[in-house]
Amino acid sequence: MSVSVVIGYILMFVGVFFFLVSAIGLLRLPDLYTRMQAATKSTTLGAISSIIGIGLMREDILIKSIILAVFILITAPISGSALIRAAYKAKSPLTNKTVVDKFREKEGE
Amino acid sequence: MIRKIIYGIFILIIVSAIAMFLRGTPFGVDKMDVGKYYLEETIPQTGAANVVTSVTLFYRGFDTLGEVTVLFTAALGVAVLLFIEDKKRKMTYVKANFVTKIGTRIVFPFILLTGAYIFMHGHLTPGGGFQGGALIATGFLLLYLAYEETSIDRKKFYLVEGLGGLTYVIVGLLGYFMRDSFLANVLPNGTLFDLLSGGIILPIYIGVGLKVGSELANIVDDLFCEVKCTGGE
Repeated sequence: MSVSVVIGYILMFVGVFFFLVSAIGLLRLPDLYTRMQAATKSTTLGAISSIIGIGLMREDILIKSIILAVFILITAPISGSALIRAAYKAKSPLTNKTVVDKFREKEGE
Repeated sequence: MIRKIIYGIFILIIVSAIAMFLRGTPFGVDKMDVGKYYLEETIPQTGAANVVTSVTLFYRGFDTLGEVTVLFTAALGVAVLLFIEDKKRKMTYVKANFVTKIGTRIVFPFILLTGAYIFMHGHLTPGGGFQGGALIATGFLLLYLAYEETSIDRKKFYLVEGLGGLTYVIVGLLGYFMRDSFLANVLPNGTLFDLLSGGIILPIYIGVGLKVGSELANIVDDLFCEVKCTGGE
């Protein structure tokens, strides 16, 4: 048990914890937009920490895992933004508990 | 109700036939002589490390040529069906926000690079011409989604598509004139795990990858032109 393997296990547990939080959020939150927040933001962090943890456990795939983590860090927020914006344009309903809608104020509708 | 009973009887007949057929085969015994033959004989015969692509291009090369023709016919059918005048279908085009635009600028060259890598290393790593071409087409789809003023030069794409298809036929005809049969292996096998190994797999897959990529990009252009050119907003 070297130091890098221990750090890898810790990162794996952090990633699994964030996956669990996002799964609970998918079940509990009331609305499409809040559920998409749970499905994009925390799964991005969970995937990055899991992949880098596996790379630290095995030295020969460390560089590949870092490249994969950078790719996920670039692409997942973009896809989440585009999907939520398309859902808003398709008039998906907001919940009753909505307080502020900045997008409508900006568009001036 | 009677119809449901008849359906149930049919399903019972089919399931019992499958069960009786499976009862005669011993479980866990390898009876596939063909698979064993391919796994043992492929590398000395062809020099390709990826057995699957060597099977699709050496032992079933003529079949793959038919598949390329099927793809061409499908692209032609999409282009014919999309330009029928229909006033009821109104599609709207939503402009992308700046996050998608900047992200597309970052990711697009890497997508093209990955697609080219996949179809050039078809005899070494998993993948091949069709998969690499599909990846290249997804890059063009992303470009169309982000920038609504995108329009590709159709004539150049048709030229690339035709040249890619022609490469396949020319390599096959070389095999016909220099050896005994169509699509015979005319190039040397080389050493294993080299880029220039595996005989005719490399030129054929470069042609197929360019052909499939340009074809699917043309289909994407057709789909977006239906929104922009014919009455959409």
